[in-house]
Amino acid sequence: MRSRPETLLRAAVVMCVMALIAACAAPGSSTSPTGGPATAGPATPGPTTAPATETPPDQVTGELLVLDWTGYDAADFWIDFKNKYANATATFEFGGSDADIYGKMKAGSQADVFHPYTGWLQFYVDEGMVEEIDTTKLKNWDKVPDSFKALGQFNGKQYFIPWDWGFSSILYRTDHIATVDSWSVLLDPKYKGHLSMWDDGPGAVTVSSYIHDYDETSITDAQLAAIKAEWTAQAPLNKTYWAAETDLIPLVQSDEVWAAYAWQGAYATLLGQGVPVAYANPKEGRNSWVGVYGIRKGTPNLDLALRFLDEKLADATSTNLPALYYYGSANSDVMGAITDASLKAAFGIDDPSILKTTNFTPNLTAEQRDAWTAMWTEVKAAQ
Amino acid sequence: MTVGAGSNPGAPTGLGVRPSRAPDPRRLTFLALALPAVAALALLIVVPLLFMVALSFRPDLRGELLSPFVPTLKHYEQVAETFSYWRLLGISAGMAAIVAFVATAAAFPLAYFLAFRAGRRAGLYLILLLVPFWTSYLLRVMAWKLMLGTEGVINSGLSSLGLIDEPLDALLYNRNAVVVTLIYVWIPFATLPILAVLGRIDIRLHDAAADLYSSPWQQFRRVTLPLAVPGLAAAFLMVFIPTVGEYVTPLLVGGTGGSMFGNIIQDFFVRAANWPLGAALSVIMLATTLVLVVVGLRIVKPRRLLGI
Repeated sequence: MRSRPETLLRAAVVMCVMALIAACAAPGSSTSPTGGPATAGPATPGPTTAPATETPPDQVTGELLVLDWTGYDAADFWIDFKNKYANATATFEFGGSDADIYGKMKAGSQADVFHPYTGWLQFYVDEGMVEEIDTTKLKNWDKVPDSFKALGQFNGKQYFIPWDWGFSSILYRTDHIATVDSWSVLLDPKYKGHLSMWDDGPGAVTVSSYIHDYDETSITDAQLAAIKAEWTAQAPLNKTYWAAETDLIPLVQSDEVWAAYAWQGAYATLLGQGVPVAYANPKEGRNSWVGVYGIRKGTPNLDLALRFLDEKLADATSTNLPALYYYGSANSDVMGAITDASLKAAFGIDDPSILKTTNFTPNLTAEQRDAWTAMWTEVKAAQ
Repeated sequence: MTVGAGSNPGAPTGLGVRPSRAPDPRRLTFLALALPAVAALALLIVVPLLFMVALSFRPDLRGELLSPFVPTLKHYEQVAETFSYWRLLGISAGMAAIVAFVATAAAFPLAYFLAFRAGRRAGLYLILLLVPFWTSYLLRVMAWKLMLGTEGVINSGLSSLGLIDEPLDALLYNRNAVVVTLIYVWIPFATLPILAVLGRIDIRLHDAAADLYSSPWQQFRRVTLPLAVPGLAAAFLMVFIPTVGEYVTPLLVGGTGGSMFGNIIQDFFVRAANWPLGAALSVIMLATTLVLVVVGLRIVKPRRLLGI
């Protein structure tokens, strides 16, 4: 009577512990801010002395570690590098947000190349975490428009190369909302339970700045307090905040969300699925962001990293970006060749007035970052 | 429980062997066996915990992560001044208490059945109880999204029965959804400590109670339940403590209004790159949970729990 339940219990405890380990490992592995590089670090340093153009591609060897966003590890997004340098490899580790990527680099990630977005670039330069890029070694550099090049320049030096870009605006279902002409639709109580804001403090400050015509680069304490009150009142109007585009798309598709802060990738995806959606041109202007690649300061794989970035800008890779993910490429040759109607609509290629009124994302200071993210956390904590 | 008993088949087994009477080689064996676990705990829990406490006094993330810094209390001040954080901590502790109470209450009949009524099939039933753990925690929580969603199992079931016209919105993306999901997740865990205690109850006590003309209810109320209290308390704490800091479940089914304290901590690490503030919040949560557990143990009289 006594021994049997105990034997069972022992077995049960063992199983539970195993289950716990499995449960902890799943979310932890992708979100743990202290997690170091998931894969092995650089193996063989590339030949750093020879100019990029002289070594035959098949003699270039080495292993590059890339810290990127989930999905960009797909071979489609670095196919030129993969095909050209058959004897070099690229492995990937992932970040879920700009803050996450910054945190991982801060924690000593051995990634040779990393992928932040406009708004989150200044810190890397200020803290000496990013290597200056010798653009003379990039054969595809001339395909990048100067306005894009400028986004990666700090103190007169090129620290980042632009790669992907897109808009942020309001995505809405045309079967519920006839037209959207202002960002303030995201704060409209009329659509309670059918809105979805991006789960991001700086994003919320941006939207409020557009609506109230604040200068986004110099938000005062009073303005920040007003913004906090505004989004605290907005919170119950959401179905839910969204953190990843893949969370948002099914919510709009299933008719639960009618209007949302969104990137145009979500718009193009839903359009492709035949969902009645539109992407607003608000009177305050759309927001635009640019993704860039930087090279970690002190990487032993500098040469290979430069080759990787150069091939990132090459035509096949750059074509896949709009074709598969509906995001713009920094390669202007590729963008000029787009013929697909829904893509043209997504990028506003046929409507130059959209780009004219677009607001580009300014770089945050460390103080703004901390104040704005704390504001947003307080909004969420007050619910 | 009987260290080294296997090496000496003639020795009496069971609790009669006291560590104090054990010869020195056994104690050395015990120490050698305990060392890896103690070292792992120190290295993987105590050191990171100390690192977290140190981080909470760091002014900001600028500079090398392991570089020296001038300690500051500013993050604790910022938390102290922010009412919404404390309110959320209170809500999280309240949710954890509800989840722990309901999960323990629901687990008790299960454990009772396994210990006294399941007979020969107890092993099979226990395995069935644990089957959900063979799949990922995330998958099980996602399954609740399918249950509770606007087009989910409950809504489509109710509407096909003609009971509702519009789908019920209130099922998913709020704190109730978080509580329901967490209760579901914890019930099998809560069963185990209760089962451990019930399994140790001498069945002859029940016979003795029956001989003394006690009704089945009296048997349960005066014999089984008091003896099960340590298991119930263990189950409650085992659920309560991790639930205060829960963040994955609210992230998936909590929606805008369903955040818990763990979510704002996670935000400061993953969405804000403000680790020092996140660390300060973690330290405060840890301290609060400890205080609550200690106070709770005082209220339910620890001596009675440990005296058995």
